Amino acid sequence: MVKLFSVTKTGASGLGSTFRFWLGFICLLSFWACESKKTSAPASSAFRTVTDDLGRTVNLPVLPKRVMALTPSLTEMLFAVADTASIIARTQNCDFPAAALTKPVLNNYPMDYERLLALKPDVVFATDGIISMEVAAQVQKLGIPIYFQTYDSVADIIRGIRSLGVLLHRETQANAVADSLQTQLNQLAADTAGPNRPRVLAITWQDPIYVYGRNTVFSDKLRYAGGQNAVTEVFAQPYPALTREYILKMNPEVIIGSDFAKMEKTFFSLYPELRRIKAYQNKRIYQVTDDLMSRPSPRVVEGIAELKAVLR
Amino acid sequence: MKKAFVLLLLLLLLLTLGFLLGLKIGSLPTSYATVFAALFEYDAQNATHYSIVNLRLPRLLLAFLTGASLAFSGYLMQALVNNALADPFLLGTASGASLGASFSFFLFADLTLMGLYLPPFFALLGSFAVTLVVVLLGSRRGQLIPSQMLLVGVALSSLLTALVSLLMFLSDSESQLKSVVFWSMGGFEKADWATLGYPAVALASGLVLFFFLQRHLSVLLLGAERAETLGVDVRFIRWVMLVTVSVVTGFAVAFSGPVGFVGLMVPHLTRALLGTTNRFNLLACALAGGLFLVVCDLISRWIYPPAGMPVGIVTSFFGVPFFVYLLRRKNYRFS
Repeated sequence: MVKLFSVTKTGASGLGSTFRFWLGFICLLSFWACESKKTSAPASSAFRTVTDDLGRTVNLPVLPKRVMALTPSLTEMLFAVADTASIIARTQNCDFPAAALTKPVLNNYPMDYERLLALKPDVVFATDGIISMEVAAQVQKLGIPIYFQTYDSVADIIRGIRSLGVLLHRETQANAVADSLQTQLNQLAADTAGPNRPRVLAITWQDPIYVYGRNTVFSDKLRYAGGQNAVTEVFAQPYPALTREYILKMNPEVIIGSDFAKMEKTFFSLYPELRRIKAYQNKRIYQVTDDLMSRPSPRVVEGIAELKAVLR
Repeated sequence: MKKAFVLLLLLLLLLTLGFLLGLKIGSLPTSYATVFAALFEYDAQNATHYSIVNLRLPRLLLAFLTGASLAFSGYLMQALVNNALADPFLLGTASGASLGASFSFFLFADLTLMGLYLPPFFALLGSFAVTLVVVLLGSRRGQLIPSQMLLVGVALSSLLTALVSLLMFLSDSESQLKSVVFWSMGGFEKADWATLGYPAVALASGLVLFFFLQRHLSVLLLGAERAETLGVDVRFIRWVMLVTVSVVTGFAVAFSGPVGFVGLMVPHLTRALLGTTNRFNLLACALAGGLFLVVCDLISRWIYPPAGMPVGIVTSFFGVPFFVYLLRRKNYRFS
């Protein structure tokens, strides 16, 4: 900016700017030529059009060799399904499995588009609700196909694993993982089938009080774990803000958030009125592993087992 | 005088109605009979009684106190800088409080330290610190220069808003962002009996003090020079006003967040109804401000149950059209 001003001031503006314009134009042309050469190479090795979970049409290589996920749960899925060597990067939040930590980091908030371009993925995977459509549009503009998955239930997560298998030509691997999860899930469900299901309220943030709403995978996980979501009303947001009175009315029997001592010091000293609820009176307040709670990943069954252990 | 009495009576009547309705509405279905039972034959075991007395009533009172405090401070502020655009946040109170609260959201994951709930404490600290800076930069040799103070307040507010944005940008959790955003739009959900006393005492002292200084205030609206010739110690009264505004606003904002628009609109409304020099202006202004926020909170909970829409959105939505109507009326003049 400063340089540009000095050029105009010295009177060399006419020559300078014309020269710059053509230089820029030539650069752009050569860049474009390179780019089109690059994209034409895999084009010959065939693309196919698929529809992702959001109903978007995605045009991706039949045989993606360089893949990555933009969310931690999908990175976990990729490591369960894909050839590990084909996973080219992770985001700053992807920390599982341990092998993921060896991959280069792409910052996803704010999205580092230049780095993404440099990584040259054949396709990137994203979770609905975490990666915005605005980011998706930008990624697509860079010529990188972006495929969205979305989950309303545990079954959706298992279906997501299978669908990754199809997209990456790793059906055997994906189906093995999915089948094994399904078997474990059936066992858990058979074990916890019964009418005595405690009403569980899971708190994600204390001020204001945000909880896991009805329309989250958490409600479904509780079904397998032998409980039920204390929130029965469906709100517009999956993680609604609630009032103290609403929580008093629900009177949950179990609270998931943090351990009793910590909740006593923070949550219940902030909202002493809530000491009246059953969960507090019976000290049924527990901490579970955050990532297992929040990530719709292959570890979902592990998360259910943890919930079940707590509810028992 | 008669006009003032009618208005005060009307405000009190509407407030009573607002409180009754506010005590009735909530997640637990309640009848008016239950409301009266909860107030006069309180049963601690009854969840509805408990909610009415410990959740709904403090919430209503906090809404009332916040509205009353901001309207009262706005009235003083408009008189202090003799400007129709002035509101209680002119001294940087709102942005200082926002920055303080944001700090507590980002620095302390638990939001509590040794049993003390930090955001209001930090907000109060922030608002006082910023007000102090504005006053120091806006005065010369112990003399307040309103126009300079006004500009310093606006400039400093932008800087602080930028700092809050920076904190938000650097935050690593969406929940922290939500906390800051929620806080900055104002709300009364965290009201409880233990903390209601602070804004109540601040407001009551301010009201009593200025009930006696009302005459000086009216004279000051004529302009500093004329007030001086009429025997008002302008320098002294300005300092009293300044300290009152910052304390009353600071406490209101600390517990409810910077609820916008009340402090600008209600003083104008009061003057439009009672004239510029009525001795009951401040009282009417406080009552009207309180009523306004009580109604806005009811609307917010009614539109968006259970948590309610942030009240700052509602105040502007319903306040602005009315305000514009007021300004378009021919016979209203600021001073």
